Amino acid sequence: MSYKIPMGPYHPALEEPYKLDLICTGETVTDAKLHIGFNFRGIEHLAETRNYIQVIALMERVCGICSNIHTLTLCQAMEGLTGLTPPPRAQYIRVVMAELERLHSHVLWAGIAAKLMGFKTMFMTCFELREKVMDVLQAISGNRVNYSMNRIGGVNRDIEDPIALLGMIDVLEREMVKKVIPIFTTSSTARSRCAGIGVLTHEKAISCGTVGPVARASGVGQDIRKAAPYAAYAEMDFEVPVQPDGDVKARLLVRALEIMESCKILRQALTKMPPGELASGGDKFTFVTGTATSRVEAPRGEVMYSVSWKEGARNPARVHVRTPTFATMPAIRWMVLGARLADTPLIQASIDPCYSCTDR
Amino acid sequence: MNMTTALARLLIFPGLLFAVPAAWFFLWVERKAVAMMQGRIGPPFMQPFYDFIKLLGKGTPPRSGIGGMLMRAWPLIAVASAAGAVGLLPVLPSSGGFQGDLILLLALMELPSMCIIAAGFSSRSIFGEIGSAREAVLSVSYNIVFLLAIVSIAASQHTFSLEALAQLPASPLRVLGILALLVCLPAKLHLNPFSLPNAEQEIYSGPMTEYAGPELAMWELSHGLEWVAATGLVATLAAPVITTWWLAALVFVALSFGIVLLLSVVASATARLQIDTTVRFYWQCTLIFAVLAVASALFMRFRS
Repeated sequence: MSYKIPMGPYHPALEEPYKLDLICTGETVTDAKLHIGFNFRGIEHLAETRNYIQVIALMERVCGICSNIHTLTLCQAMEGLTGLTPPPRAQYIRVVMAELERLHSHVLWAGIAAKLMGFKTMFMTCFELREKVMDVLQAISGNRVNYSMNRIGGVNRDIEDPIALLGMIDVLEREMVKKVIPIFTTSSTARSRCAGIGVLTHEKAISCGTVGPVARASGVGQDIRKAAPYAAYAEMDFEVPVQPDGDVKARLLVRALEIMESCKILRQALTKMPPGELASGGDKFTFVTGTATSRVEAPRGEVMYSVSWKEGARNPARVHVRTPTFATMPAIRWMVLGARLADTPLIQASIDPCYSCTDR
Repeated sequence: MNMTTALARLLIFPGLLFAVPAAWFFLWVERKAVAMMQGRIGPPFMQPFYDFIKLLGKGTPPRSGIGGMLMRAWPLIAVASAAGAVGLLPVLPSSGGFQGDLILLLALMELPSMCIIAAGFSSRSIFGEIGSAREAVLSVSYNIVFLLAIVSIAASQHTFSLEALAQLPASPLRVLGILALLVCLPAKLHLNPFSLPNAEQEIYSGPMTEYAGPELAMWELSHGLEWVAATGLVATLAAPVITTWWLAALVFVALSFGIVLLLSVVASATARLQIDTTVRFYWQCTLIFAVLAVASALFMRFRS
């Protein structure tokens, strides 16, 4: 006999309001339906009522985890409309902020994944480590969540002593290698919860249009940082980790390896940071009529902004945001088919969903 | 055992007067130990007591009909049977007992789990029903091992009296039996890696989802008493023979405390397993272990 079990919109396994209706037979899931839209805030409409300075502060609040990525993408799109190019030092600072954000987002996800396996000790370990990343972010920007680092044509704040931050990066990397990665890969209870569950095949990953770590864990080696480098990524030497298996363990491994690559990029960006200006252009900007798009590799995958402007206007005519979760979300249905009920919270979380950004 | 000693054991030591504070203490030790291993501060010493009092002061939703009556009855039956189980433990030397009290103890220890299963189904919540189904499957898996382990110790000694068992000298078979019992305890007490019936990330608190107020307080109490009974059973079997009564009580408490700490360490170092992995674990690994214990017990018995 099959029955429907609602998961959400308020559920201990979900950080955000969304709903997964699971049709189960016994403990096996036979179908799933995902409902979003519980957190609609109308930010895209609100953006049309804000001027070019205010809109950056507004878009920073689309997501509480990847706040920097949203302003970075928006600023890049607006730079396309104003014809400004950020100076090299600003490009490097943008890379540092983006990678630190990736670090803290991935560590946060590892913690949540551990919690969903019922592994609360690991959750606490991950969140302790995340605090250290937040400390670095605070040391640079003075803020823990909304960093307000990006502006049109550059960044707002300088990293005065980049070399001093290297020690903090070393600590992060050591803790990752010593604690988090070994526990996830060697703990037999953790392994039994991850290996072979929530499989998304290579073909399905492509046909669902998944992005980011979910796609890379299904063997789709795409990364905007490599494919269409922005900021100073063209000058960085790093690998894009790809795993062929497509299960939760592969997604976990891809993110773990990305953390290591992020540390590598951070070290390069901090040591090679060129001297110079923080921003080009003054305080007043003139926009041309048209639409500019910008794509950035957020921790969860590709974020795309499309910004339209009319010449002489202070406010944008349209700001459209496409978040990575929007692209990855449909894959959940294929992942949970045939899975056990106990695995579904972990499977749906393995795409690292951020429905608040998706709802905007 | 005459009426006075029976009442004293049920109501004073190791019964209610001792067991209820001990239950709160063990719940606190478990929470505090797990918290400290996770780098948290953990609850203050009196927290389980405060929780209990606070829950007692809250209201419960009105429930009508047989279903409502049953829902109110299950936690009370669970508390009563768990308290009875604690009262039967032969903690003090020459405290009396009767032939076959081991069987009564096992039955009483099993009742709270039966009540949980029934409570989940009578609450008619989907989460409660799934939790109950899990508890039932879990109970079928670990109980065979649990019973076989006890039976192996009892069979080797020709007795089903707890008092007689507790006073026997340690033997390798007894160690084997105690180990098998220890493996069953996390499942019996719903701890990681077998915390399936109350897996909050999947089914909220399972069978307890629809409970609130004093009824939930009773569940918490019965859970605490189960802690005392289960760790106490292992402690009495593992404790050396001591004739001084206060020393015996002290050793009992110390051993129970050690077992609580051990269980907390296991709980904080593991993730939750799935139901089929758990069932396979108990049926494959531990069942073999328990069957070996029974076989060797019978072998010893026929040789002697």
